[in-house]
Amino acid sequence: MKLSRTQESGTWMILIHAKFHVPLKKRNHKYMKKTTYFLAALLGLSIQIASAQVKKGSVLIKNATVLTITNGTLENSDVLVQDGIIKKVGQNINAPKDVTTIDGTGKYLMPGIIDAHSHLGLDVVNEATAPIVAEVRMKDVVNPFEVGIYRALAGGVTISHAMHGSANVIGGQNATLKHRWGSTDPADIIMQDAPRTIKFALGENPTRVHGRGNGIQPRTRMGVEGILRNGFNEAIQYKKAWDEYNSASSQKNSKALPPVHNERLQILSDILDGKIIIHCHSYRADEIYMLINVARDFGITKLVFQHTNEGFKVAPEIAEYTMGASVFADWWAYKFEVYYSTAYNAAILTENGAITSINSDDAELIRHLYHEAAKTQRYGGMTDDQALSMITINPAKQLGIDEKVGSIEEGKQGDLVLFEGHPLSSYAVPQMTFVDGVKYFDIKEDADDQRLKISPTQMVEEVTISTDHEDRCMQGTESLFETTNSLFLLNQ
Amino acid sequence: MKKELLRAGVFCLLVSGWLSSSMAHAQSDPSGKKRITDTYAITNATVFTAPGNPGIKATVLINDGLIQDVGTNISLPKEAKTIVGDSLFIYPAFIAGTSDAGIIKPNDPERPEDFVSSNPPDEIAGITPWRSALDHFSPKDSKIEDLRKTGFALVQITPAGGMLAGKAAIILLGNENSTNLLIQNTALVASLNGSRGMYPATAVGVMAKFREVYDNTKLTSQRSEMYKTVTGLKRPEITPTYSAMQDVVTGKIPVLFSAPSELEIRRAISLQKEKGFNLILTDLEDYEGVIDVLKSSGSSVLVKLEIPDDKAIKAQKEDATDEVKVLNARVKDAYNKALAQAGKLEEAGIPFAFSTVGVKSENIMKALQSMIENGLSEKAALEALTTNSASILGLSSVAGTIEKGKMANLILSTDSIFAENSQIKHMVVDGYIFNFETKSKKKSSKDGHGEQPKIEGNWDYTSETPAGSSGGELSIQKEGSDYTGTITYDDPSGSGKATSPLKNVVLDGSTLSFSFDITANGMEITVDVSGEVSDGSLEATMTVGEFGSFPFKGTLNPTLIATK
Repeated sequence: MKLSRTQESGTWMILIHAKFHVPLKKRNHKYMKKTTYFLAALLGLSIQIASAQVKKGSVLIKNATVLTITNGTLENSDVLVQDGIIKKVGQNINAPKDVTTIDGTGKYLMPGIIDAHSHLGLDVVNEATAPIVAEVRMKDVVNPFEVGIYRALAGGVTISHAMHGSANVIGGQNATLKHRWGSTDPADIIMQDAPRTIKFALGENPTRVHGRGNGIQPRTRMGVEGILRNGFNEAIQYKKAWDEYNSASSQKNSKALPPVHNERLQILSDILDGKIIIHCHSYRADEIYMLINVARDFGITKLVFQHTNEGFKVAPEIAEYTMGASVFADWWAYKFEVYYSTAYNAAILTENGAITSINSDDAELIRHLYHEAAKTQRYGGMTDDQALSMITINPAKQLGIDEKVGSIEEGKQGDLVLFEGHPLSSYAVPQMTFVDGVKYFDIKEDADDQRLKISPTQMVEEVTISTDHEDRCMQGTESLFETTNSLFLLNQ
Repeated sequence: MKKELLRAGVFCLLVSGWLSSSMAHAQSDPSGKKRITDTYAITNATVFTAPGNPGIKATVLINDGLIQDVGTNISLPKEAKTIVGDSLFIYPAFIAGTSDAGIIKPNDPERPEDFVSSNPPDEIAGITPWRSALDHFSPKDSKIEDLRKTGFALVQITPAGGMLAGKAAIILLGNENSTNLLIQNTALVASLNGSRGMYPATAVGVMAKFREVYDNTKLTSQRSEMYKTVTGLKRPEITPTYSAMQDVVTGKIPVLFSAPSELEIRRAISLQKEKGFNLILTDLEDYEGVIDVLKSSGSSVLVKLEIPDDKAIKAQKEDATDEVKVLNARVKDAYNKALAQAGKLEEAGIPFAFSTVGVKSENIMKALQSMIENGLSEKAALEALTTNSASILGLSSVAGTIEKGKMANLILSTDSIFAENSQIKHMVVDGYIFNFETKSKKKSSKDGHGEQPKIEGNWDYTSETPAGSSGGELSIQKEGSDYTGTITYDDPSGSGKATSPLKNVVLDGSTLSFSFDITANGMEITVDVSGEVSDGSLEATMTVGEFGSFPFKGTLNPTLIATK
C-alpha cells in the first residue's frame, strides 16, 4: 500500500490505468426519471437545476447524532431528505408517505465525505506530452464502472475530484464526480452543477517529464514560472484577437478574418476571467509563493493548492490570497521536494485562517479519510468540527460546491453517511452512504463482488493471501501465546 | 505505384464502359488471361435473392459483370458457360462495412531534426486525413483471397494509422487483372488512439485535438471563402489536414469512428453531438449496455465480426473453490451476453452491418453461427452482411441482393449458408468466377474409427509467404496422450534460425493443428497451422496473426527405427 501511494502521489506515470471494456452485466434503467427542480429563493440559495437524468431519493434518518459541521452537533435528531434535497433537520420529524425511515439510534450522521484530490473513475489520468494541456477534459474519459467508486462509498465518500495528473505545468480540466454507483452513463456520475476546475503542477513532476525527459522548457522551477507567465500572456493576446475580430465582423462589409482557434489558450483565458478554479500540485514554499505572485499579477483569485507539504511555511499568504490548501494528513518523503514536511501542516494552515482539506490522491486511502482527518486532532489538537470540516465543507469550498454540499443543512443535497461510532474514532465504521437521498452503500447488503462490468475473456485466478511473513516472524513463539489464547477462548 | 494503377483504372472505368468489351475483343491477348466468355448461367440452383426471401429454384444469368436475369424460364445465350447449380445454394455475396484486406501499414515517417514531442507534425502524430486507403493497398495480399473465400465480394477498405488515419475506399474483391475500385474517399477513418510518446498521446488528448482540427477546418474554409471575394486580405493558410477535413465538415462524407467499447462508443457519439458530423461507429465489440444510446444517436453501426476468445471459459475448472466458481459464473455470464449482443441489436431495430478490420477470415463463419445460436435471426445476419452494409455504404442500387441489373456478386454454397457443414464452392465477384475446393467432412477419430497417422518425429517444412519461400524443422514428440514439440524458422529479427515451442498440438483424425508464437519487431504474433497428414506428408495452411494465411508443407523424415 505504501509503495502504491508513493507512486500515485509522487510520479505521474503510474496512474495511467488499464481498463477492460466488456459488456455490462445488466442495464440500469433507474435513471430515467426527469426531475428539474427549483429551490425557493427563500432558502437563500441560488436556483439549482439538476442534471436531467440522475436518480433522486427520499429518506428519513431518525434519532441519530447529527454532525452538521456548520451548525454544531445535534443529539437525537432527524434528517429528512426528499427528492434528493435535505428538507428538514430537527426532532420528531414524521416520515411523509412512501419515505423510508432508518433508525439512527446510537449512530452518527455526517455529510458525505468529499475528496478534493482523486483519480478514481478515470480511463486516462495524464496527457503528459506538452507543458500545457489545458484543452483536455477529464469529463471525456470518466469511467463509471471503476469499482473504486463503490469502495469510496464504503468509506463514506460521496464526491471526489477526478483530477488530471501532475505531468504538466498546466494540466487538463478536472471532473467533480458524485458517486452514483451503478450508473452506466459517465454523465450521470459527473456533478454537472459543480464549477469548472483545472489542474496545475509545480516542481519536480513537470520539470522531470518535460525538462529532463524531453529537453524542453521547463527544466527548472524558473522554467515552470516562465511557462505560466508566457501562457497567460498569450491567452491575453488570444482573447484580444478574438474580441477584435468579433467586434469587427459585426460591422458592415467587414474584411476581418477569424483568428485560428486555440482551445488551450481559450481555457487559459477563461482562468483569467475567473471562470475556472485552479487546483495546483505543489510542495515547496518557494513555488507556492511563486504561484501566489503569478496569480496576483494576473488578477487570479480562484486558486487552491494541492499537497502543499510546505504550506505551513507560507500559511498566512495562502490564507490571504487563495482558496486554501488540500493536504495529506501525514504523508511525505516519497521524493526530494517532499522531505520538509510535518503532520501539523493541516492544523497550522487552519489556525492561520487558510481553508484546509485532507485528501487521498489514492484509491485505498479514500476509504478512510475520516481517519486521516482524525490525525489533525493528534497532531495539532483540532476540534471535532475543525477536523471533520477538512473532509466535508472545506473541500466543498475549494471545489466551489459549498452551497450545495459539505454540511447537513436544509436545502443542501442529500449526501449523507451514517457511522457506527464517531467518525473521528479509530473504531468508526460507515454503515450507509447516500447520494442525493439514494442509498448506494449499505454494509448489510455489501456483496463480495460489486463489480458492474466483467470481461468475457477474464481469466479468474484464485486469490491467496500469503501468511508467510507472519509465520516466519513469529516462528517458535506459539507456546508463549497458549495461556492468552485459552483465556481468550474462555471469555468468548 | 499501386495507387497509380488503381487511379488509372478509375479513369478507364469512368470513360470507357463500352470500350472494355468491344475493344478487348478486337485485340489479341498475348497474356492468355482473357476469358473465353463473360456470360455465365448457373442453372437450377436454390436462389435466395434477398435476406428473408425463401429459396427458389432458378437460374441466374450473368453477363458483363451484371446479373442479367433470375428465373426459371430463361433462354440462355449460346456464349453462356453453364455451371450446373442443382445442388448449389446462391446468395448475394457479402459486403463488409470495413476491411483491412490488402492494407499494408505505411512506415512511420522520419522525425524531423527539430522534432518536439509536445507539438509534432500532423503526419507523425497520426493526423493524416489526406491519406487514402488506396495509397497503402496491395492486391497481392493473401487476406483478399481469404475474405473472398468467406463469401465477401465488396469491402470498404480503411487505412491503418492514428487518430485520423485517412480516407476509406470501396473495392471489389475481384479478378486480379481488373480495376477493382468502386468509390474512393468514402469516409474519414478515426479512432481514439493516441500517438506513442507525443501529443496527443491518450484518448483525452485525441478528443481535444479532434475538436481543434474540426473547428479550425471550419474557420479555414471561412477564410478561404472570403479570400475568393474580398481583395486585400492576408492569404489563408492551406494545410493538408484542414483541406482533407473539408468533406467531413461539410457533411459530404461521414466519420468512420472506431469505438470497440461501450465508453468509446459514448465518447464518439459525444463528439458527434458536439460537432455535428455524420457518424458511422465501427469495430463494436462491447455494446450491450449502450444499445439505446446507439439507437437514439441515429449513427450507423458496424459490429466487429468476431466473438470473444473463449480461452477463459475453457480454462474454467469444475473442481474450483466456491469463491472462484462464483467469479467464473460472472465471466461465463458476461461471455454469453457478449454472444447475444448482435441479437439484441436486431431486437432494438438497429440495421447494423459488420466490420472485419483485425478479424481472421477463417473465424468469420463460426462467429456468425455463434451469433445466430445466441439470438440473431438468420435473416438479420444476412441483412447485416448484404442489404444493411450496402445501404450504409450507399450501394443499395448496385449491390446487396440478387436482382437484374445489380453487380454479379454471388455466393454459391453447398448448403444453406449458415448451416454448419455448408461450404462455399464458387464465388462470383464482378462477374468473375472463383472456384474453391470443397471437402467432405472427415470423421473424427474420437468416434473410435480410423487409424491416426504418425506425426512424431522430425519434419522438414516449407512455407510460402509474400516475403518469399522459407522453411525449417518441425519436431513433434508424444507425451502420454499429448503431443509437444518445437519449430525452427527464419529469425524475423535477424539472421539465422529461431526456435519456438509448439502449443496446442492436436491430431484429430488426420487433421494436425498446432500453433506457436514468434516475436517480430517487438510484437508477439501467434501462428496457427492446420492441415491434413497422410503418409508422412503434411498439406497445411499457416495463419500468421492477422496478416493472412499461407501454404505450409511438411515431410516427415524417416527414422532408423522400422515402422511397425
